[in-house]
Amino acid sequence: MEHLNVSLIVALIGGIVDLDSTAVVQCMISQPIVAAPLTGLILGAMLGNYIVGLRLGLMVGVILQLVWIEQLPLGMNVPPDAALASVLSVALGFCAGFDYINEYSKREVCYTVALLVSVALGLLGRSLDMFVRRINTNIDSIVNQKIEDNNFSSIRIGHLSGGVIIFVKAFIFCFLVIWFGVEPVKYFTQMMSMTQSGGFIVVQGLLPAVGFSVLASMCLKDKTEIKYFVGGILIFTLFPQNILIPIIASVMVMVSYYFKKDKKPKKGKK
Amino acid sequence: MTLSKWLLFKIALRSLLLQASWNYRGMMSMGFLYSIAPGLDYIYENQNAREMAYMRHFEYFNTNPYFSSIVMGVTLALEEKYKNGEKVVDPEMIHNTKEALMTSLAAIGDGLFWDSWRPFVATFSIIFATANYSLTPFVFLILYNLPHLYFRFAGIYWGYEDGMNVIRRLKQFKFPQIRQTLRMGTLVLLAYLIPNHVNIHTPYLLSNLKYEYYLYGEKVVQGLCALTLVTLGTFAYREKVNVLLISFLLLIFALVFYHWGIFI
Repeated sequence: MEHLNVSLIVALIGGIVDLDSTAVVQCMISQPIVAAPLTGLILGAMLGNYIVGLRLGLMVGVILQLVWIEQLPLGMNVPPDAALASVLSVALGFCAGFDYINEYSKREVCYTVALLVSVALGLLGRSLDMFVRRINTNIDSIVNQKIEDNNFSSIRIGHLSGGVIIFVKAFIFCFLVIWFGVEPVKYFTQMMSMTQSGGFIVVQGLLPAVGFSVLASMCLKDKTEIKYFVGGILIFTLFPQNILIPIIASVMVMVSYYFKKDKKPKKGKK
Repeated sequence: MTLSKWLLFKIALRSLLLQASWNYRGMMSMGFLYSIAPGLDYIYENQNAREMAYMRHFEYFNTNPYFSSIVMGVTLALEEKYKNGEKVVDPEMIHNTKEALMTSLAAIGDGLFWDSWRPFVATFSIIFATANYSLTPFVFLILYNLPHLYFRFAGIYWGYEDGMNVIRRLKQFKFPQIRQTLRMGTLVLLAYLIPNHVNIHTPYLLSNLKYEYYLYGEKVVQGLCALTLVTLGTFAYREKVNVLLISFLLLIFALVFYHWGIFI
């Protein structure tokens, strides 16, 4: 009964979050850095350990946010479904790892395996998105026909039905993944020896490097920037770990860069 | 100018559902018509004229969703002029203006929001996430949505009041400069994250260090290893290696190095 409740809650979260990713509002609760911690928090509160849920959500959110940051919903391009991947990664990891709440290594293996599986699920989610858009194309043709017959109320019905289809798609997809997916993740974890489990914990620690690489590749434009960037990394390596340092440094760099660039065109005009 | 502020606000609210029926034929066509429908209903009291207006706007439409309300405002201003019989405005002119605006605003909006603002806010929030700050999702949501909601709700008034001159108003924002500045900010935050949050631990190079220097030495080794790893990842990604393949190679690499005892 509890598994059914959890599956339904995850399906509901998935449906709402997926609506935000394109159809409704786009206030970005669908971004992994938001969707994953919130899923962790809700599941954690439901199953009685919200701190573990939140921490798992933050870990998953950081990695998935960066891995697909360059995939943009431009024109015809449909990016991987990062929203569903985040929700499912946290839900699968948390539910599978819940039985190992006092076994650190087994629990972390569950989280890492769920994360890797969810990347594949994000790609599957993209295919489902494309399928929904094909259904919407058919609805668009029907509405077109109705408008020619002077039936203008079809615009509202046709338009809003698109949102309903997206919600239903995400709801069913999330429900099925959690309903059938938790046991295989648990089974995979049980199969692992202590040594192999340690390897997966190392993998979890290294995975942010993939996301950082994607973001660096996206932001770095020329050799001078690369030099400064590497210099920055070396400086931050020597500095103590404190989140105020990068925030202040970032604000200072942005202010100086904004005003420096502002002056250049005026000089050119002279 | 007869549309009330409340009606324009209602249209901006409807624009929140712009992409509900996104499809391959008209893209946001249904969403656009659904959003401006109350405006068209108000402008055209005559049933035939209203139906003609509906037909005109059930056409291909695609732009950045956050800037869509600007196009809606301009379109409604032109429709009103057309209804009042202004000679320079005809359906073809409305269509051309809409098309020109949606294309340019798509370029500006996508560049600003998807390519610059989202990565910056995401990296900023990740700084908090790595410190296990529980309000991280709200840091992201509040920061991200300030400009989103500003452009969405102020945009419809700008479009309606300025008409085609709205581009002049948008130019004042210096979007290219803002994008470059955000990119620099993102890089600084990323430079902090790389050495501090790629967790590489190795027993090598540290075995001879005295206890009081051990933690500092480990941080330096971790930073240098992370820099190497991210450099390789960046190089691979720029050479068009798929991000999934990079993750898979990292998995194999980590498991092998762990097996050999190089990583702990």
